[in-house]
Amino acid sequence: MLLLTLSTYWMGKIGFSGVIAIFLLLLTTIIKATIIIRDFMELRDVSLVWRIMMYGWLWGICIAISISYLISL
Amino acid sequence: MNTSKTQQEPTLLPGDFAIWMFIFMELFVFFIAFITYSVVRALNVEMFNKFQQTLSTELGAANTLLLITSSYFVVRAIQAIKHDDVKRCIFWLYAALAGGAGFLILKTFEYYDKLSEGINLSTNLFYMFYLSLTIFHFLHVILGMIILLAIVIKAHRGAYSADNHLGIETGASYWHMVDLVWIILFPLVYIIR
Repeated sequence: MLLLTLSTYWMGKIGFSGVIAIFLLLLTTIIKATIIIRDFMELRDVSLVWRIMMYGWLWGICIAISISYLISL
Repeated sequence: MNTSKTQQEPTLLPGDFAIWMFIFMELFVFFIAFITYSVVRALNVEMFNKFQQTLSTELGAANTLLLITSSYFVVRAIQAIKHDDVKRCIFWLYAALAGGAGFLILKTFEYYDKLSEGINLSTNLFYMFYLSLTIFHFLHVILGMIILLAIVIKAHRGAYSADNHLGIETGASYWHMVDLVWIILFPLVYIIR
């Protein structure tokens, strides 16, 4: 997760932008957030409804962000 | 041939159920805030890209590393108490608090830098979002640290053990939520353009 954060920082530093940048940045964000939800918060085996709420939150935000960014390109 | 698999019962949400209602409410508020930011940005791309460059990606990245590490320390605290190791649990909780304090200190420097340039909530749309989103999260970090501090005090008094650590799991769940929100806030506000 720390390496993913450094890669996010590096992409920002070099001014990486455009469709591929948005995809990669959101992908690293989803990976980190999934680790937090599944392993840190220990929601791996909880009822489906809670998992749907947490992952729905994560994917909902990332999909909305990508749509609004792609529209604005 | 008996092919029935032992159906594994889903585990309960870790910690107190009330904290999860609070977590879901907070996540919903941040959900709306993040999407509003994205939509408003789509309508003001040049301005957002221009002023985004004035943010310190170094401080943002350092704060991300601090929160992730601090969140991991809380995981270690939970593992320790599950093994009835109160001393080690307290150690990891202090380490988590140190990470949180580091985050608050760096954030304060970042705000001081911006405010001393005369930047505030009414400077422009980008700074309004940047300040309101990050200050709102900042307040959550403070609340999270108050919760962790209360847990440490109770742990010192022997309130927790392998059989009784619901309180620690409650605080841990909240702290992980604070980290989870920042993991999205950092690339959204500081990086993606």
